[in-house]
Amino acid sequence: MIVGSASVVIQYILDSIANGSLYALMALSLSLLFGVMGLMNFAYGELIMSGAFTMYYTHSWGPVGMIAMTVIVVVVMSLLMELLAFRPLRKAGPSTLLITSFALSIALQKLAYMTTNPGIPKTVRPYPWLTQQFEVSGVLMSRLEVIIWVMTIVLLVGMTLLLKRTALGIQLRASTEDFRMSQLVGVKANRVISSAFAITGLLASVVTVLFMLGHGDVRPNVGQGPVLVAFVGGVIGGLGSLPGAALGGFVLGLVLNILQATLPRSLQGHTTMFAFLGVIAILVLQPGGMIVSIRKLRRKRDQAAALSEGAPS
Amino acid sequence: MIKSFERYARIVWTPFFLSILLVITWVVVELNGDIFYQNEAEKLFLRLMIVIGLQIFSGNSGVLSFGQVAFMAVGAYMSALLTIPLEIKKFTFLSMPEVMKSWVFPAHLNEWNGTTGTLAGAGFAILFAAVFGIPIVRLIGVAAGIGTIAILVAMNVFIQQTSSITRGTSTQIGVPQTTTLGSTVIWLVIAIVIAYAFRQSRLGLRLRASRENERAAKSVGVNIAKERYLAFVLSGFICGLGGALYAHYFISFSYLDFYFDLTFITIAMLVVGGMGSVSGGVIGAYFLTFIYVAFQRLEVNGLFDGKAPSGTADLVLALALLLTLIYRPKGITGGKEIPFPTDWSFRWVGRLLRGEIRPKAHSLSEGLKVLGLDRLSSKDKGQR
Repeated sequence: MIVGSASVVIQYILDSIANGSLYALMALSLSLLFGVMGLMNFAYGELIMSGAFTMYYTHSWGPVGMIAMTVIVVVVMSLLMELLAFRPLRKAGPSTLLITSFALSIALQKLAYMTTNPGIPKTVRPYPWLTQQFEVSGVLMSRLEVIIWVMTIVLLVGMTLLLKRTALGIQLRASTEDFRMSQLVGVKANRVISSAFAITGLLASVVTVLFMLGHGDVRPNVGQGPVLVAFVGGVIGGLGSLPGAALGGFVLGLVLNILQATLPRSLQGHTTMFAFLGVIAILVLQPGGMIVSIRKLRRKRDQAAALSEGAPS
Repeated sequence: MIKSFERYARIVWTPFFLSILLVITWVVVELNGDIFYQNEAEKLFLRLMIVIGLQIFSGNSGVLSFGQVAFMAVGAYMSALLTIPLEIKKFTFLSMPEVMKSWVFPAHLNEWNGTTGTLAGAGFAILFAAVFGIPIVRLIGVAAGIGTIAILVAMNVFIQQTSSITRGTSTQIGVPQTTTLGSTVIWLVIAIVIAYAFRQSRLGLRLRASRENERAAKSVGVNIAKERYLAFVLSGFICGLGGALYAHYFISFSYLDFYFDLTFITIAMLVVGGMGSVSGGVIGAYFLTFIYVAFQRLEVNGLFDGKAPSGTADLVLALALLLTLIYRPKGITGGKEIPFPTDWSFRWVGRLLRGEIRPKAHSLSEGLKVLGLDRLSSKDKGQR
């Protein structure tokens, strides 16, 4: 009995990690754009949507062709978004950018309604060898879950390497810290922002593929729900910091999934509501997000230590 | 004598002009008698109500709010709860908590053609705005936008999930239809007068000062959080009023009516018209409604041979908003009110006739430059 319940707990945790990983990737890409150009991109959900429709229409091409096409379409969509909507508005304030992304999101959703005949329900047929569950010492797992974990780790390590080791990464990080200053020392604005959008698109396409292979249903507003959750997670972790946002997204995805499984049915639906009310509280109390504030505390402590060391001499 | 008359006339000019516009619309639609146009006019009026609520807060403070529709939902649901006849309530709200049952069930606020119920709904919206306003007015810029979106989503999830109070995902049953086009116009005129008076009052002036320059406003003693809070609550009242009227006109409504679609269209109306003025809100609402209905007709009736695919109207709306943001960020009115007739200037007509105003571009490439489109193709200039 005890063994059984332990494996149930492990089961929940493993499922939730897979869920959290996807939100971590989404929050990471939201945070990247937020840092570089102060843009909270609602239209990110429509990147996922366009990817989902691509998967639906190219399903017959086999997995490799489908995934390749999805990646291409989503990255191109992301770059087009920047070129047509956000580039002309680069000098505008963050609120204007927010309305713009909102308008863009609605426009793309309506475009999808217009062009895809939503009367017919569409699903991306899952591959049975991916989603079929097998048992490892009492815990059910699917290959898709394992792939999600591996892909998340690979992408996070890849992003870290990109940001820490390459010239582009250093430019990106410099732009998130202080955009104008980084321009003054020779970082090219268009290049940095375009590559931020390209990275966003790449992450979005991976999220789309992993998400759609598990969920399947393709609707014009398929991206809206996940993006809202990822964005809450990003705010909790701190949209201004890349690792903070990723961790925030991960933790929120994990916690929501565990709550969904463990809370009584009558309270389940309200979890999202509390998450959003929590966002308001965090915005007021810790506007930089939880992770950033921990870092700030540490910095303050270091400064205090440095002062007390310096005092006697 | 004439001077002082002009002084007073100037004070009431803008709300007077806008009210006349509304009344004319109402009379035309009422005489026309087509139910389609009556519904569209009612939708226009109710959206305009939200736009005016939004203008009071966002237009004067410069802080964008995506959450006003949540207060509209409060107004709609509460005024519906308080006016549905007891016999129906007994069946539709079986599992309502006792705490609420005790005062919701006996309530039947239908006096004066439902005015009391409408005001009660708006009153609850004030309560909610008063609670949520406390955190929101402390946020700036994009954080405020995010916070208000959080209000909207939280409210929507609450309505969807708390079926014992809101009937969850089902539509309402038995809401008395007490709102008419005429009563909406009357409420709307009141809302316009309130919004205009607020904008011109000392409070509104201080708030607008804080919008233009926060630090300068603070330095002359403007308590920004307090001013914003008052505007937020007042805005909540107007939106709640709009919600209550909505409930009693389109008697069967559900949680889907108060979500991103309505938020989007009202924000689009305000931004396209010009956030800074009440006239901007009204003109934006009329302009977008005109475009929307025109394209909707195209979807239904078609033009020449082809029909526009359904959804065109929404897409055009979104594009109108995007183009406004890019090319005329202050909206059609540029944030100004309708000028007094004696201030109307037609000098530009004369200048145009005398050839003093030249077209800004003589070739395609120059035209692109005027429109700002050349930036799309130009190389890196290191500009933000």
